[in-house]
Amino acid sequence: MDKTAESIKSKFLELGVDIPLEDIVERLDKLVTKFKVPLDEARRSVITYFLKENNLDRNAFFGGQSTTPDSRSTPDVKLNGIDEGGKWVNIKAKVLQLWDSSHESVSQVGIIGDETATIKFIKWSRDTIPDVEEGKSYYFKNVVSNEWNGRFEITLNKNTVVEEIDEDIEVISSPMAGAGDGQPAPIVNVADIAEDGKWVSIRAKVSQLWDNSHESISQVGLVGDSTGTIKFIKWTSAELPDLTEGSSYLFNNVVAQEWNEKFSVTLNKNSSIEELDEDIEVASSSIIFAGAMVDVQSGSGLIKRCPECKRALTKGACMEHGKVDGTYDLRIKAVLDDGNTAQESILKRELAEQISGITLDDAISMAADALDQGVVLDQMRLKLLGKYFTVTGSKVDRYILVDSIEPQDEMDMEMLDELIADAEMI
Amino acid sequence: MSGYVREVSRRVFAQEFRESNLTFKDGDDQYSPQYLLTPTGAKVNRLFIVGTLIEKEDIGTDSEYWRGRVSDPTGSFMIYAGQYQPEAAQALAECETPAFVAIVGKPSTYTNAEGTVFTSVRPESISIVDVATRDLWVADAARRTLERVKDLDNMDSNVVKAKEHYNTDKDHYSSMIREALRSLKEDL
Repeated sequence: MDKTAESIKSKFLELGVDIPLEDIVERLDKLVTKFKVPLDEARRSVITYFLKENNLDRNAFFGGQSTTPDSRSTPDVKLNGIDEGGKWVNIKAKVLQLWDSSHESVSQVGIIGDETATIKFIKWSRDTIPDVEEGKSYYFKNVVSNEWNGRFEITLNKNTVVEEIDEDIEVISSPMAGAGDGQPAPIVNVADIAEDGKWVSIRAKVSQLWDNSHESISQVGLVGDSTGTIKFIKWTSAELPDLTEGSSYLFNNVVAQEWNEKFSVTLNKNSSIEELDEDIEVASSSIIFAGAMVDVQSGSGLIKRCPECKRALTKGACMEHGKVDGTYDLRIKAVLDDGNTAQESILKRELAEQISGITLDDAISMAADALDQGVVLDQMRLKLLGKYFTVTGSKVDRYILVDSIEPQDEMDMEMLDELIADAEMI
Repeated sequence: MSGYVREVSRRVFAQEFRESNLTFKDGDDQYSPQYLLTPTGAKVNRLFIVGTLIEKEDIGTDSEYWRGRVSDPTGSFMIYAGQYQPEAAQALAECETPAFVAIVGKPSTYTNAEGTVFTSVRPESISIVDVATRDLWVADAARRTLERVKDLDNMDSNVVKAKEHYNTDKDHYSSMIREALRSLKEDL
């Protein structure tokens, strides 16, 4: 073990970091002796620990090809020269737009451009790089190109240096034009939204508002027109008026985004909303599914939601707001299975009450009597598992958000006769 | 997250289940799911059955280990639930026989010294249901089995594998389906 510790120490010394031998020995010993980790695994774990402590790159230690470039060797490129992922480059570009970051791990995201092209950039929160400002030009040194869904973007990282420059970089008149400069993007049909990152305007009706899952989102749901429906996200920072379910609007300058081959539109600071007098007809996106309820998943039954963001709490804590005094709700996450497909389905309170026969008040007192929220789920499982149901609703990702559910408790004789006739023919 | 797809609960009659003996894994690491391939080509990692619980017995020596027999129009399924299926074992312990039960479970096989393969079901859940649900299941299982019998001429790899292994007799299973459906008609 001492040998291992010494070899770790000397390796770190080569990288210019002097770690006291006893620190290495102590960590190694704890892993090997107390937690019975094999020496090899322990060695790796200790190295990883000290690399992290000292902000060093793994590859530097293991002598593989360094992914941390020497900035002298990083080429200056124009944006249209970015044609493969994983390249280190320097670029001079102007920040054209900053978007609302959808995730706390992203500190800034937006579009930069030069005279040849525009490209999306991402700056992570973990890297302490000063914020860039819209309209200013910068020299971005040591950024990495990435390919994502067939498009390129650049990411800033801990080796990146961003210097503001005096020159005002001329930017190609981009396909993005129309977004920030007062000219509304063209109005398109919902079904025609098929290009990631494109600015469009749509005339559509809000067909559903969903439970909001994140504080940076002010509203989320579905909008639709006669050609289809699409998910929308309205960022809190967009400071737009709230939408009402069932009302129709003209949405100017929204951005199409692709995620897992599905499109959504986001409403941001550059977007505007006008309520329309007409009632836009929405193409039905409702689907019907019939099958046996083969599972009532955990997270069903009596749950608590965060009063701020309506997100379901886990062990009394909200992922976003920490420990909060939650409000009770009922829901069922069911798996319906027709023998060919296992379909996950989410039932909100009214429907959960309707099919389980347990009201929210019943559930609260059941849980209080048993000193256990789980009894509600147990009761629901007893009542529902193994029975046949037909649901209608909209399909979102892998779920059906159920609008209506009916137990199937009678044989359809016509169907049975057809089935018999069918079976006679073979 | 995106990689996980829940296994569909296949519908197989007891007779076909009893006549199955070919198991295989998709992939070769220890976590690859195991499947039972039935004579009509159903690739079963999970089953949904509704039938009548006609026998139950605690055959455990140290801890409870429940064996039950669930019948459908074509035969019966053996089910086994012990400490690793606590919910199902408890349901079996508490319920009376006979009773209509709906079972979601995994197929399992056992080969005796003579090399005969016995199939059984390890339940994930057992719930008491009514007769209407039982009838709906018979129609449901008949429809899915009929679909498979019709597809026996396909070149689908599971079908090819099943036919090679079992030398599947189409008439044998189509008459099973007809009888099951007729029993439904007579009862009503």
